[in-house]
Amino acid sequence: MKHLLPLACLLLCALAPLRAQPSFSGPMPSPRVVEDAAERRRAYLARLDEEIDWVAGDTKYRTDDPANFDIAEVVARLIRRQDVDGCSRRVIELMQQPGTGPFWMFPTVCLAYTGRDLLSAEARASIRQAWRTSRQIRGDTENHFVMYYVSLYLMNELYPDDAGDQWYTGRSSAENRAEAKAYLTNWMDLATTVGQGEFNPTHYVGEYLIPLLFLKTWARDPEMRQRGHIMLDWIFAELASTTLNGVLRGPNARTDEGSVIERWNAMASHFSWLAFGNTPPPAAYAIWGVYFAFAGASYEVPEVIYRIAVDRSGDYVQRDHKRTRRRWRYSDVEWAPIYKTSYMRRDYAVGSYQGGLADPIQTHVWDVTWAEPDPRGKHTTMFSLHPHSSPRVLQTYFATYPEPMVKAVTFEGKPSYDSPDKVMGCSPYEQVFQDLDTVVALYHIPAGERFPQINGFFSKDLRDVTEDASGWIFARGGNAYLAYRPLAPYRWIPYLHFNSGWAKQRRDLGGRLLVSEHLRNGTIVQAASASEFPNFEAFQSAMRALPLESRLDPVPSVKFTTLRGKAVSFTYGKAPVVNGRKLDTGTWPLFEGPYLNAGLNSRRLVLTHGNLRRVLDAAALTITDGPDKP
Amino acid sequence: MRYPSHFLPASDFPLGGPGRLAELPPPPAPFYRMTTSVFRPGYWRLALTGLVSTVSGVAAPAYDFFICATLNRNYVVGSKIVTTNGVFQRDATQGWAHVGYNDTTLSAVAFDPRDRQVIYTSALNGCWRSLDGGRTWQINTGWEITEARDVAVDPHAPDHVYLAFVNGVAVSTDRGQTWARREKGLPDRGKYTQTIKVDRTRAGRVLAGCELGIYLTKDGAQRWKRVLATRGTVNELQQSWHDPKIWVAVTQNDGAWASQDNGESWKQFPTVPTSEALYNIAMDPTQPQRLVIGSWAHGVLATEDGGKTWQARNAGLPEPHQVWRVGIEPTTGRLLASVVGQTLFASEDFGRTWTREALDGSRVNAFITVPRAHTTASKEK
Repeated sequence: MKHLLPLACLLLCALAPLRAQPSFSGPMPSPRVVEDAAERRRAYLARLDEEIDWVAGDTKYRTDDPANFDIAEVVARLIRRQDVDGCSRRVIELMQQPGTGPFWMFPTVCLAYTGRDLLSAEARASIRQAWRTSRQIRGDTENHFVMYYVSLYLMNELYPDDAGDQWYTGRSSAENRAEAKAYLTNWMDLATTVGQGEFNPTHYVGEYLIPLLFLKTWARDPEMRQRGHIMLDWIFAELASTTLNGVLRGPNARTDEGSVIERWNAMASHFSWLAFGNTPPPAAYAIWGVYFAFAGASYEVPEVIYRIAVDRSGDYVQRDHKRTRRRWRYSDVEWAPIYKTSYMRRDYAVGSYQGGLADPIQTHVWDVTWAEPDPRGKHTTMFSLHPHSSPRVLQTYFATYPEPMVKAVTFEGKPSYDSPDKVMGCSPYEQVFQDLDTVVALYHIPAGERFPQINGFFSKDLRDVTEDASGWIFARGGNAYLAYRPLAPYRWIPYLHFNSGWAKQRRDLGGRLLVSEHLRNGTIVQAASASEFPNFEAFQSAMRALPLESRLDPVPSVKFTTLRGKAVSFTYGKAPVVNGRKLDTGTWPLFEGPYLNAGLNSRRLVLTHGNLRRVLDAAALTITDGPDKP
Repeated sequence: MRYPSHFLPASDFPLGGPGRLAELPPPPAPFYRMTTSVFRPGYWRLALTGLVSTVSGVAAPAYDFFICATLNRNYVVGSKIVTTNGVFQRDATQGWAHVGYNDTTLSAVAFDPRDRQVIYTSALNGCWRSLDGGRTWQINTGWEITEARDVAVDPHAPDHVYLAFVNGVAVSTDRGQTWARREKGLPDRGKYTQTIKVDRTRAGRVLAGCELGIYLTKDGAQRWKRVLATRGTVNELQQSWHDPKIWVAVTQNDGAWASQDNGESWKQFPTVPTSEALYNIAMDPTQPQRLVIGSWAHGVLATEDGGKTWQARNAGLPEPHQVWRVGIEPTTGRLLASVVGQTLFASEDFGRTWTREALDGSRVNAFITVPRAHTTASKEK
């Protein structure tokens, strides 16, 4: 009996966050496809309410003390009409020390619009005053610019006729709106012709979806409202097509260590939960995620996007065209094309891209990820990378000198950047090819490179990891069978994880890294469903029987017949060849697959699922449901 | 008349031929503060011919000394760190008084020589302009112009403002009210521009330090031509306080350079290391043979013989002596060094010994000397 008290305490502790964030720690959502539109709407609104209630409620979001409420807590209480007078007082306090950039601007826009008929005149004036006196920094990334200009646009619509001396920019409301509209139009044009730069981000997806929702919800100008709506659908459609059971799969222009290994633990899962209801949200709804909930009632994903996410009849390949971040130096092009492939199956997904350095720090290039009944806490991924750390690459994308930034970024939210055993980042010395569920990654690392090795990630959640005499390493992940072939000798080390961007210490979470310290190197990974074989041994036998030739000199090269019978030939520096045909990236579409289709430069995305069809036309600024007119 | 050879990079550097004083502009204000002890014969003649009265003891004008500094440690966009950053002016107590807005991202500042109330700052957002001495500001560069690195005003055409930024050069001909890209002659790729300086002798003559070298325009950026090819970014350009035909530059990969013909041709300082990036160079307004380079890898490199020999002057600086910028106070020749992660350090003996200054945790992006009365602003960025 004496042991029950601590157990009860533990249970209470476990239940506390359960009350606080019901869906985060609650059971897995039902995989049932909700057929009825009204029921879908009710469920969506209930999820929004859960978030708003949690932030506004007595349970802790950040603090119970009204004197310490942040902007989100004030907005939530305004929505719930809780202590509106106290909210006004708190707003006046908050505006005494305004922030300096887009992460302050968009919450403040949310506050200004939510509170425009609720806050006291003094509180509204304090917000207005902050936008006059505090200089706002625009930032240097695509998501910064989108947040900045949506916020600037909406605030200048809220105060549409003010003179320049009333804004920190020194420019009139009309001038500010014109600049914001020009940028946003340019960004949308770029994203809908050649693809997003920050494509499929695990976290930054919120930094797009939230301001776009604000634009759709609050813009007075019908054109900007429509632009917001089109881009919301566009990005949600991409999210739907690249998730498996609500978890984002495959490569990411920008991610972090946590989301690379625990794929579910990402802001993207928050949006899957909200829009599709098919995975739990991450802790605290990914913090920023709550701002979507505040205005979320004005939007709901259309049925076609919902079904792309939750209602799949079979395996599919999706090819997307993206682009890199803007390059300021050391490049013949301002941005380079990215050719992305996703292969989705019930039990696993395989994703990769070709095209080099999407982002200097936070890119994830390829992986095989498997489905788990409950992905929380599971490291459902296998991949390899060259841990590249380079002043030159940083200088390509940033206005910086060669020396300081390598170390600086490790103190600015990317602690593993300069670590040889990191698991995030891309390299100029990695080339990847994917055909269905086969990935070949080749590495040609020059002598003198800071980290002359490649790292293969082996999750704590793999089962039956077997180093076979054939050279293959076999493993099981969920209902997937996996085969990993290192092309050069290797050793094992524990994978040590930074728990957050600002963590100083690393933790052993149970995974391992396959470290291969050879400059010319490579990895082949083949995945299959367990249901395709009588047992694991049969999969291994099938893999051993596949023809495979590889060499590392003078450059890495692989000839491999895949489990799917494709003869793949891939040499570093040359175009991959499949069944005798060279891969032609010149014809790569903006989107191509069973659900998303768009021609390069078309600005027109066609979404289909069964009989459902929606056309997002970013040129004509129309959203059209139903079949093409004859 | 021959021009002085007080910072020749090599003994065979061609000296300038006879010059006509009528071509020379009014000398920069710090000239008036020089002592005769540093004059070499050629220079002395120049002074005697044109400016005898000033050398002979007429009251020297006062100067204002500014810095662009970031006091935040590890600030990133979204950070809640709040400190004071931006432009600071040396005050009468030898402290630093903040001027204008709090902005973590300022890289340089320039003033309209006709009206010191008109201020331009280069910043992450573009170019901010104040017409009232920093009380209010306006930004008129659009979204296309981002991460500005440097700003300069043409002293002979003060409505003309030049902005260096990560994707090229922008020019305003109406005091920063409107801006246009002027990049004809710059490469399509490789026009990352870190530094831009206007030749104070002629309107529209501007040098830009870019990724692929130094570019020169003689017509207000209507057309650029490359005058020095480099393997990496040109980080800083400076025009001599003492002889405007003389320019110096430091680079990321190619060491330090000097020109004695108004930037038309360049020769490398042969003993300055090329293995690591040099961040900036400053020329001593009080002693023409003294130059100093700031570098992350090398700390402070100084010469007192016009560039023939260079010495590391890091004794007394904290390890690692990663120097972000060096500057020289115009009235005293006092050397200043901004050491990353530390503070501002000062030296009364040109780097032989150092003492800690104010501004703990600061990073100075530019030192700016501005004559209080008239003439051009000058920068040692």
